[in-house]
Amino acid sequence: MKILAIAGSSAKKSNNFKLLTFMKKHFTDHDITIESVRGIPLFNENFSGNMPAPVIELATEAEKADAVIIACPEYNHSVSSALKSTIEWLSYELHPLRGKPVMLVGASTYPQGSSRAQTHLRDILNSPGIDAIVFQGDEFLLGNAATAFDDDGAIAAAGTVTFLEKCVAQFAEFVQHFIDEGCSDCTAVENAVAERQEREKSVEKDGEKDEERAVTK
Amino acid sequence: MKLTAIVGTNADFSYNRLLLQFMRKHFWQLADIEILEVSQLPAFTEDFDDLTAAEQTEVWRFKTAVNKSEGVIFSAPEYDHSIPAALKSAIEWLSYKATCLTDTPAMVVGVAYGTQASARAQEHLRQILASPDCSAYVLPGHEVLIGNVGKTFSDGVLSDPASIKNLEDNFVAFAEYATSINSMPSLQENSEMLKKPFISDAYITFPTGKLTLSQAQQIFSTIPFEVDLIDATDHFTWYSDKPNREHVRYVSELGEGVEECHPPKALPIVMKIINSFREGKSDMVQRPLMMHGHRTLIQYYALRDVDGRYLGTIEFTGSVENILRQFEAGAWPTTEEMAETGGVTPDATSGASTGGAPEGAGTAAADNVDDHGEAAANTGVADGPAIPRALAMNVDATSSASAH
Repeated sequence: MKILAIAGSSAKKSNNFKLLTFMKKHFTDHDITIESVRGIPLFNENFSGNMPAPVIELATEAEKADAVIIACPEYNHSVSSALKSTIEWLSYELHPLRGKPVMLVGASTYPQGSSRAQTHLRDILNSPGIDAIVFQGDEFLLGNAATAFDDDGAIAAAGTVTFLEKCVAQFAEFVQHFIDEGCSDCTAVENAVAERQEREKSVEKDGEKDEERAVTK
Repeated sequence: MKLTAIVGTNADFSYNRLLLQFMRKHFWQLADIEILEVSQLPAFTEDFDDLTAAEQTEVWRFKTAVNKSEGVIFSAPEYDHSIPAALKSAIEWLSYKATCLTDTPAMVVGVAYGTQASARAQEHLRQILASPDCSAYVLPGHEVLIGNVGKTFSDGVLSDPASIKNLEDNFVAFAEYATSINSMPSLQENSEMLKKPFISDAYITFPTGKLTLSQAQQIFSTIPFEVDLIDATDHFTWYSDKPNREHVRYVSELGEGVEECHPPKALPIVMKIINSFREGKSDMVQRPLMMHGHRTLIQYYALRDVDGRYLGTIEFTGSVENILRQFEAGAWPTTEEMAETGGVTPDATSGASTGGAPEGAGTAAADNVDDHGEAAANTGVADGPAIPRALAMNVDATSSASAH
């Protein structure tokens, strides 16, 4: 199945990005695309002009995917502001996660493996406007991430890999139900972007008219 | 009290901003509130070098303002059941390789359009502020949840009486909380106190050098006599902590009046000595007596400041057995021998060192005092002060010899 994997850290060196890279390599049954929140601007409800290109790109990828996996770091016992910002973009004028099966994984340098951030992330993803269908199976919490990977970027502990395989298999089964029920409309993001562009154009035209009026006066 | 207040959103219009503006005006007598905008900040990044110089300056300004304040108010709206990314980003700036919020009193407030009034976001915010990297002291309880802005605000100003009353109660609680948190000794100071109860590393600086408190305490425990102090208000306030004291004292006796710590029989004599000190009529009274089977000397001195004002009476008590035995073994010449060798006369020595007549009167009076049950020795005034002079003479002789 087609999966979008979002790395939730804006740092150049990210253990969560590393985790997703390993998953893409390991789970060859699935078509996994990795995107990062790095490069997504800080959300502002009063942004002007068209939506930022990286946001549209990410939303389009999410809409096309059968499912989304979010790799969540933990900053101050919660999600990173960069990931929160991304989710705000994906719940404002665009809603590509609506009805989308989402799985949470996470890595952190401490033993807890982002457990508290994942709990916050569940709260966030369950809020209206996002309407994601968060998979509630086993939790994948990769602690001590600094030493968890071998030189080839693979998770070193065989038991951890086996557990991750089990988690992904359960999630795939869960996602299959939604695929069987028929794919949702995949034009919502496109329509929303077009709608905003139309609005921006008319604002520009109004601006031009104002200028014309000013000139004729 | 200087506080900072952080508007928890980067939106152009925000009721949370209006709430903080209301608080700044409403509580101006209680606190000087500086409002900070998270919209001035770049998105948090661990890669600080990626920012422009102007962005780095904004981050520095923001952190400095919070650092200088005595408490922080967070006003949070709710985005997706949590705080806005812009506020989370600002908190990451304050806590990543920084301690701007550490041990800082913090208050959480919030406004929202609906009845929920950012309750879930405020709960997340409290958890975030309690995380080790933040370690803020968040005012517990005391929720400020202002919902239904259509009714609670009018013309951009908080107007609902119940909401204002609630805000006042909570802000006063925060001001008190912040004051007590900020006056707490640091944890490091506390752990020092655990290690060394009663003694800190402070110094007492005298004109002739300085002593640590522990040196001062140990000097009193080491000198070969014990010391008691009756202060200028005639209360027993201190004694030296010395093993095998002649007079056994207890901490529970501290603070007792002179009349409480002396038997009534002895009180008139004691008060006579103290009053003669207070009135400046005498400076020293001494009592030779037998205590616990050995020869003991008690000396009372008037304690005065450098201007001569009476500060209290100190009592020195010590066994003189060691000195007397050395004398008897011929350690020093007798007074007669000294007179024969052309040394100083006893009268001149005595007068020079102890200030003359009053001590004699004191001794006579004190001889009758028997407040501790020991028999007063029937001896005269010991003429000790001759000794230092004799030693001084020897030193002179030596130095003149070496000069030849």
